[in-house]
Amino acid sequence: MSDQSKSSQALGSDPLSKSADAPSGAGTDRRNALKLMGAAGAGLAAPGLGATYLRGFEYTRSVQAQGSSPVKIGFIEDESGNLSVYGIQKLHAAQLAVKEINEGKTLKGGPDIGAGGLGAIGNVAKKPPTISKEGVGLDVVNDGGEKSTTEVVFDEDGDVFVDSGDKGILGREVSLVSVDGQSNNALWQQLARRLIQQDKVDVLVAGFASAEREAIRPIVDQFKQLYFYTNQYEGGVADANTFCTGPVCEQQVIPVVQYMVEKFGPRGYTLAADYNFGQLTAAWTKAFAPLVGGQIIGEEFIPLSVSEFSQVIARVQQAKPDWVMTLLVGQNQQNYYPQAAAAGLKFPMASTVNMAQGYEHKRFKPPSLANMHNAIQYQLEVPSARNRAFVKRWMTMFPEDQYIGEMAQNTYFTIHLYAKAARIAGTTDQEKMKKALELGWSIEAPEGSVFLEPGTHHCAHYIRLAVCDENHDVKFVRDWPSIQAWWLQRLGVNLVRHPEYKQYTPDEDPYFKMFLKKA
Amino acid sequence: MAALQHLVNLIAGPEDIGRSRWFWAAFAAVCALLFVNPLWLTEFEATNGAYYLLNVPIALGLGLLWGYCGILSFGQVAYFGIAGYIYGIVAGNMVGDATGPIIGSLCGLAVCGLVATIFGYFVFYGRVQNWIVPILTLVLTLLLETFLGQTAGYQWRVGSVQLGGYNGMTGIPAFQLGSYVVMGYGFYYYVLIVVIATYLGLRLLVNSRHGKVMLAIREDAIRTELLGYDIRARQLVVFVLAAVLAGISGLFYVQWGNYITPSQVGLVQASLPVVWVAVGGRESLLAVLLSTCALNWLNYTLSSEGYQYALIIIGALLVAVMLFFPSGIVVTLARDLPRHLRTLRGQRKGEVQ
Amino acid sequence: MDSFATGVSIIYQFATNGAFLLLSALGLIVILGMMNIINLAHGELMMMGAYTASIAWHRGVPFWLCAILAFLVVGLFGAALERTIVRRFYGRELGALVVTWGISLILSQGALMVFGPFLPAIPIPGGSVGLGQYSFSVYWLTVIALSFGLIAALWSLYNRTTFGLQARAAMQNAAMARALGVNTERIYMLTFSLGAGLAGFSGALFAPTVSIAPFMGQQFVAPAFITVVVGGATNVITGALGSSVLLSLVKTPIGFVFGAFVGTVALLLAALIIIRLMPDGISAVIQRQVDRRNRFA
Repeated sequence: MSDQSKSSQALGSDPLSKSADAPSGAGTDRRNALKLMGAAGAGLAAPGLGATYLRGFEYTRSVQAQGSSPVKIGFIEDESGNLSVYGIQKLHAAQLAVKEINEGKTLKGGPDIGAGGLGAIGNVAKKPPTISKEGVGLDVVNDGGEKSTTEVVFDEDGDVFVDSGDKGILGREVSLVSVDGQSNNALWQQLARRLIQQDKVDVLVAGFASAEREAIRPIVDQFKQLYFYTNQYEGGVADANTFCTGPVCEQQVIPVVQYMVEKFGPRGYTLAADYNFGQLTAAWTKAFAPLVGGQIIGEEFIPLSVSEFSQVIARVQQAKPDWVMTLLVGQNQQNYYPQAAAAGLKFPMASTVNMAQGYEHKRFKPPSLANMHNAIQYQLEVPSARNRAFVKRWMTMFPEDQYIGEMAQNTYFTIHLYAKAARIAGTTDQEKMKKALELGWSIEAPEGSVFLEPGTHHCAHYIRLAVCDENHDVKFVRDWPSIQAWWLQRLGVNLVRHPEYKQYTPDEDPYFKMFLKKA
Repeated sequence: MAALQHLVNLIAGPEDIGRSRWFWAAFAAVCALLFVNPLWLTEFEATNGAYYLLNVPIALGLGLLWGYCGILSFGQVAYFGIAGYIYGIVAGNMVGDATGPIIGSLCGLAVCGLVATIFGYFVFYGRVQNWIVPILTLVLTLLLETFLGQTAGYQWRVGSVQLGGYNGMTGIPAFQLGSYVVMGYGFYYYVLIVVIATYLGLRLLVNSRHGKVMLAIREDAIRTELLGYDIRARQLVVFVLAAVLAGISGLFYVQWGNYITPSQVGLVQASLPVVWVAVGGRESLLAVLLSTCALNWLNYTLSSEGYQYALIIIGALLVAVMLFFPSGIVVTLARDLPRHLRTLRGQRKGEVQ
Repeated sequence: MDSFATGVSIIYQFATNGAFLLLSALGLIVILGMMNIINLAHGELMMMGAYTASIAWHRGVPFWLCAILAFLVVGLFGAALERTIVRRFYGRELGALVVTWGISLILSQGALMVFGPFLPAIPIPGGSVGLGQYSFSVYWLTVIALSFGLIAALWSLYNRTTFGLQARAAMQNAAMARALGVNTERIYMLTFSLGAGLAGFSGALFAPTVSIAPFMGQQFVAPAFITVVVGGATNVITGALGSSVLLSLVKTPIGFVFGAFVGTVALLLAALIIIRLMPDGISAVIQRQVDRRNRFA
């Protein structure tokens, strides 16, 4: 049956047959030398020349009126490459926020107020119930106003988008210096250096993946740059220069696990991406499930490159859990959903990552994401009036956009928060800004009231439980109006008193081991 | 004195572009320019320039392996990563000890050499065909990346240093000479000196007797073997040398950025040295050096100016180079332009007459 | 019943793993295996097929027609590519490597810029069948059957038709073939076009199971190359079949018992060892056995 002899031109031959010509080393003359010198000189001195040109640019810019020099927000995200689907959303969020600030708008909120405090929009019932004490029990004298039909505890006011009384920040225009990281860590490092050392940005807002954040955090710390990381992540960053405004594990894992255990039963099975975020979130899930009455009966860690899940599906079917915790990250791993649906997997699913960022429920056809539960801090479908107004503003500026995800909203309110803090501080000097941000800020973001905790530099968030049904419509079945990022508090992190520059991992928490033992 | 003269003759040998006095004058001038550069460069520009330079050793190693010995390795970045991680582990555990970075560097290079020796033995002493080597080395790189990617858990801790999985190993100490921490301008000079020394050293190698045998293996391995040389051993030696060079680049990288992640040994990163060498021209060390710096500079400039087209431009450049300058831009220019110019000049002379 | 169901499940997993490898490698079997072009744009060709299928499906074209459309569109693109660029690289394998890498950058980044980060998904056709506690996707069962059918069709194309005969002649000894009246230029173009079309077809088949994004091709590149190289050149088609069976045989039980990570590592290690021990691929080993038997027949 052989159809080709070994001497064929196919794989059997040596593909490295040398080409006919070779560089003639002999007799390169003056012209060649000059040319090479030109090339070499140009190539190797390019940093110098290019830099001189760039610096010339800088010079002309700084010659303009010093007082009216713009406030520079440095922004690095992946606009091309693998993570571009998230990066582009965040870029648009930043652009929208900068435009609104320059037009003199801001979000309501202020310092020294805290979650549930004075300035925050709290529980407003049209007519509160009246109670009095009779004998042993309490009597309800008057039932009060209409009961809520949506199970939303906080009745939110739509108008949180107000005038700031300022044009830009302190009269100076805000300009967004944005560069593309190309999902390439080494490039991120170069770009961070450029923004910090060369462009001298007043604040840096950057990072999607934890790897990107960790790549630039040493540079941020070296130059004491004020840095906002606006993404959901595995938690633990305690860095005096860094403010993390995304949600962390304790704010999302425990609520969703609690709900799943109540609704579907105690036995859970975890599918997690095999890298830091997946592993740590799975560790949190395993540790805290017993405290809410659940139990993780099995875990599987899947490498980021896997895109074919028949074996994974078979193992899930073999384990027969009550619900499945899917912590799948990246384009390859999201293929699990349509494949599982096609294989007829009917287990209810829980997640803290999917839907809200990569809008899988819009990209995959029903019923791939049916019965998916996520404890989200924001996704496009949040029903409140303020969010509907926000989405409208966004879609007016970016009508082509398909989704507004969690991280985009975080970027949006973070930049507004920066502007508000600068106005209170009276300056954009970075050291003073860091102190100003530690006043205990509350801001009325589209998700709800968000509180930036002084000691931990993390945010308390408004958490909602989103459920995706068979038609991929989303409904919100439970609210937690404010969940603090309490883990770093428990570790004793207080960046106001004791500045630190590290990331904590669960094994540095003595209590974690306690829970793991019980699990 | 005769030995020195011999050495100089070797360096100026024919197996690379440029050997006339004019060339060496130009070379010296450029080097002098580079040494003097920091006078008007800011620290950022200097360290950025150093970033372009630090990729040169890995490219030179591949140029040596591919252009002069005929073996394409797709997995040079594996050694880049190994050196970086080992340095991070050793130096990270010896923080406070001034000899930490030096020992870390030596360990990194030693492990590179060891892994390359074992893997090379596996490959070359098995007499696999030349074109299989890229696939094997690629698979090794993928294996390493997969392994490193799942080291996220806190049990992956060597001493006090966490491997960190895809979050990367952070806080890697900078290089230190005694009590002087090599950063900023110092780092620029450190890289520059090593790169120039490496280039000259490699030039010495390819012009020497060993270099000639390497070339013979590239031309016709069986004939060389029949002439009595043990080609497996020689290929192995060159492979290990290329791995150590890649390791040097890896060391520079972590000493520059204090950080490394498994994506540095991924598929995309693995193809970059191949691209640099192919564009410059693999048969000349100088071409490789120039194209590496140029392409890195191009990539950075395109990206930092916010162009989404950066990757497309680079892809188009690759296609154009392979179509019109199959031996590489620099090599083709070095070879053909003088001839064209000479022809033009000859024509004009003819016309005048 | 439980262990029977588990057994069936294991066979199903083995078949899907093998089909995945085989389909990923389909286009590359022709381009790398027969024409010796190291095509790093293979993933992007599959991506083009998936994109074509998605766009057509959302205009109402039935799915099987979308797949055929993908084959034609990517095949045409392959022909154009061959005419303009690839033909200059015959015999220059490493040049082909670099130029196809450049093409892949252009295609993937271009797709991102023109179509945005995602294309709407295609729902997986067919439902599922249950057996005990397991359930299997009807679509995957169809794809498994289809992949074997395609291999059989490819084999008969190359061994039972005139075109196949001419193509094999051209690959073996171009000058001689030309002397005998074979139009080698046309054969090369058609072969490359066939390889590209097959890659597009595979991409369309995978499209319902993956997210349709510009960089989706990258997940298929490494499995495709490994499958083709392990298969070997002596008989590329049966070699690829053999290697996907063998590699899947390694991956499936290990992946089932130890999880996906160990399964992937096992696959890579197995590939490494097989390539090292059988540098000419599995097909060479099989060929030697067949020859030996024939000699003593």
